Amino acid sequence: MTEPVITLQRFFARAREGRLTGVRCGKCGALAIPPKELCPACYERAWEPVPLAGEGTIASYTVIRVAPRAYTADVPYAVAVVKLKEGVSLLGRIVEIPLDKLAVGLPVRFRPLVKGDQTAVAFGPA
Amino acid sequence: MRRVAVIGVGVTKFGKHDRTSSELFAEAAADALADAEISASRVQALYYGNVVGSETEHQLHTGPQAASILGIPAIPTTRFETACASSHAAFRHAVMEVAAGVSDVVLVGGGERVLNVPTPESTEYFAYASDAVWEQTLGLTFPGVFALIARAHMQKHGTTEAQMAAVAVKNHKHGTLNPKAQFQKEITLEQVLKSAYVADPLKLFDCCPFTDGGAAVVLTSEEVARRSRRPVWVLASAAASDWMLLGDKRDLSRVPATERAAAAAYKQAGLTPTDVDVVELHDCFTIAEIVATEGLGLFEPGAGGLAAEKGMTSLGGAIPVNPSGGLKAKGHPIGATGAAQIAEIVTQLRGEAGPRQVDQARVGLTHTLGGNTATVLVSLFGRD
Repeated sequence: MTEPVITLQRFFARAREGRLTGVRCGKCGALAIPPKELCPACYERAWEPVPLAGEGTIASYTVIRVAPRAYTADVPYAVAVVKLKEGVSLLGRIVEIPLDKLAVGLPVRFRPLVKGDQTAVAFGPA
Repeated sequence: MRRVAVIGVGVTKFGKHDRTSSELFAEAAADALADAEISASRVQALYYGNVVGSETEHQLHTGPQAASILGIPAIPTTRFETACASSHAAFRHAVMEVAAGVSDVVLVGGGERVLNVPTPESTEYFAYASDAVWEQTLGLTFPGVFALIARAHMQKHGTTEAQMAAVAVKNHKHGTLNPKAQFQKEITLEQVLKSAYVADPLKLFDCCPFTDGGAAVVLTSEEVARRSRRPVWVLASAAASDWMLLGDKRDLSRVPATERAAAAAYKQAGLTPTDVDVVELHDCFTIAEIVATEGLGLFEPGAGGLAAEKGMTSLGGAIPVNPSGGLKAKGHPIGATGAAQIAEIVTQLRGEAGPRQVDQARVGLTHTLGGNTATVLVSLFGRD
C-alpha cells in the first residue's frame, strides 16, 4: 500500500493556514492541483508535494445571484476560475474585490475561505 | 454486433405534475409500448434514468419501482445516474445489450420530479452534480458553471449576450409547435436581454426551467424491428467524459467530452457532421447550445453564436437544432431528457413531427450533457 502524498484532508488543513499545495510528478514533472492518485500525463504514482505561490489571474468569473439554499444569504457573490502562475487552475470564491471591478486577467491571490469546520478556496486582491 | 432499432416512443407533457417520477415514466413507457405495437410481456430489461429522486422524493431503488408501477416487475432493471445525461447513458447500455444478442426487446427511459420543492432547494440538489469538496462549498450553481463557460467563450470568440439570447428566442419559437412542451409561448430578444441575471452573464431566459416529466423508448433487435411499422435505426451511440473539476478543464470555451463523444459516434456510423439533417442537443443554457453546435462539428469553434443569430439552426435553416423546443422551452426533467431527445429524433425521422417537421430528415443526432460537462452522450439515428 502506498499512502497518497497529500490527502484532501491534509490539503485543506494546509489551505486553512494560508498555504496552497500542489503535487509534482517525480517521473515526468507534471504539476497537478488538486492532488490525484496517478499522474494523468504518464500514469505513474510518484508525486511529491510542492508549495504554490497562490498568485494568479482570473480566467473566467461569474456573479451568482440565485444560490443554493445554504448560500442564499451570501448573494450576490462571485466565483472564478483562476489560472495560477505555475500553470494550473483552481476554482475559488472571490473575496474583498468589488463585483464591478472583476475582469478576465485581473491578478488575484489565494486565501482560505473558512466557515466553521469547512475550508474552501478563495481569491482576493493580489 | 447486431443492428438495433427504436420502434416506439413515448413522452409525457412536460411541466408541473402531481405525480411521482416513476408514475411519469410509466405513462411514457406504456405510450411507447403502444406506439411500438408490442406487448409489455415481450420486454426483457429496463434501463432507467433518474437523478434527484433521493432528494426530492426520498426514493432510492427507482429502477424496480418504475418497472413495478408500469406493471412489469420481474425483468432486470438498472438505474443510471450521470446527472442530466442519465437516460441517454441508459440508452447506450441498452443498445449494447440488444446489439450483443443478450435481449431482443428492451425498454429505456427516465422520470424526474423537482417542482415539488422550492427553487433554492432544487438549485442545491442540481449543484450536487458538481464536486462536493471543491465546488459546492463555494456556492457554485449550475447556471454558475455555464456562466463561467459563457464568459470564456465571449472572451475568446467575441460571442455576445444577444447571440445567446437568439438561441432562447429560437427554441421558444420551436416550443410553440410542440404540444408536450412546458413553454409554448414566443419570447422576444428584448425580453431575454432584459431578464434578471441569474449568474452573470446568464439571465433568467438563458436558462432552461425546472421540469417534471417522463420519457421512454422501445429498443429491439433488427429481427423484431422488421415486423414493426417504421423502425428507426441506431447508427451509433457513444459516450465520453472529462475532468470533473472546472479548474482542471484546460479551455473553458470548449466541451472536450462533446468533441470526443461526437468523434466516436461519427466513426461508429461512418458519417460526418454534414450528413446530419436534424439535431436535438443539450441546451440547458443558451451558451450550452452554442458550444455544443461547435463541439458536434456543425460549426467551427467560435462560429456557433453567429450561426444562431443568423437563423442557421432554426427550423428551415441550414441545420435545424432542437425542433422540439429543446430543454429551454420543451423543459428539462433531468432523468428523462436523454430519452425525450431520442423520442423527438425518432418522430422526426418517421416524418411524424407535424408543424415542426424538418424536411427530408434522414439522419438525426442526439446530444446529452451531464452536469459540469464531465459526461456527454451522442447518438446517431437513421431511417430505411
